[in-house]
Amino acid sequence: MARDLAIDLGTANTLVYMKGRGIVLNEPSVIALNRQTGEVLATGREAWQMIGRTPGYIVAVRPLRGGAITDFEITERMIRLLLQRVGVSRFTRPKVVICVPSAITEVERRAVTDAARRAGAADANLIEQPMAAAIGADLPIDEPVGNMVIDIGGGTSETAVISLGGIVALEAVRVGSFDIDAAIQNYVRREHGIAIGERTAEEIKVAIGSADPTPDENQAEVRGRDLMTGLPKTVLLTPEEVRYAIEDVVSSIVASVIRCLSKAPPELSQDFLVRGMYLVGGGGLLRGLAERIERETEVPVKMSNVPLEAVVLGAGHVIEHYEALKGMFMGARR
Amino acid sequence: MTTVIIAVVVGLVLVVAVVAMAGGRRRPAPDDIASFRRQIDALSPEARRQTSDRMKPSERAASGDDGVDDT
Repeated sequence: MARDLAIDLGTANTLVYMKGRGIVLNEPSVIALNRQTGEVLATGREAWQMIGRTPGYIVAVRPLRGGAITDFEITERMIRLLLQRVGVSRFTRPKVVICVPSAITEVERRAVTDAARRAGAADANLIEQPMAAAIGADLPIDEPVGNMVIDIGGGTSETAVISLGGIVALEAVRVGSFDIDAAIQNYVRREHGIAIGERTAEEIKVAIGSADPTPDENQAEVRGRDLMTGLPKTVLLTPEEVRYAIEDVVSSIVASVIRCLSKAPPELSQDFLVRGMYLVGGGGLLRGLAERIERETEVPVKMSNVPLEAVVLGAGHVIEHYEALKGMFMGARR
Repeated sequence: MTTVIIAVVVGLVLVVAVVAMAGGRRRPAPDDIASFRRQIDALSPEARRQTSDRMKPSERAASGDDGVDDT
């Protein structure tokens, strides 16, 4: 008998929770393929290391963009390989709960559940990421109080107000930490005339990226290819430059949080002032982001203890209490 | 005679329909309340504690210890 699974199928990383065991897999959502034969060469961390460094016949791709499946066939193969790695075979078909962005379309919804079923799941159900995040971040969503969670992922940023186990207000934008990386790449190309890869852009973000000025700021050396000469070149990048580069993306995230706050009923709004909002997701780790949201909304922002795992832990809790919580699945009656 | 039988049958059908409708109106509440209660109980901090405690396998994997994915 297979153990049921919860999957956080993120644009950046995929995490798998196994019923009764906990998180058993945490890997980048990347797959490397032989371009000519279509054969899978690597998945997860191994494939991630290949991004931007492959010979012509290998392609390392992220099959999800903006939280949506961009390549159905590759996603299905990736899910199948992930399930195989956690012990699922054609004879052990588990029930699977998959976390997806709340703004997902009906077509995308069907694509995810079909991919999971074809990959070996006996039954596949979806749950909204902010709901799973709120459960995983241990917010008291069973009480009649306003709980606000901001989930900033690789491709989407979602803010939700949750009370009594249901979503009261929701705001989602298809902007996330990959857009921050892309903004850095574009800035360096435009202002310094050098081309850098997405992994380098991510390293710059982690090293000196911030949404608001921070006390310990340092410059960073950036190496790339000079667009004029084609030769390797090093330039110095300051935190102010990175803040300027990513300002549009950060503003868009903050604006969506403000829109969600304005949608909340007044009775719940007053709870936020006391309880604060909770930030989860890898994008939430950007330095100064919590302070920036707090400054612009005048509502306290707290970082979850498990920002990267909150979503899969929440979905894991749903799979542990499947019968009691199946009403929380997308499409089920609330 | 036939008219009387038809009238009796129609009357019985009407009575059964009225009883079924009245029963149907009364019935759904307990199920809905019980399932909502179960959902809220399953979301309580006590119910969630066990799941939160299962963070440990991930921490082991992060530190290089073998997880299920490597077996």
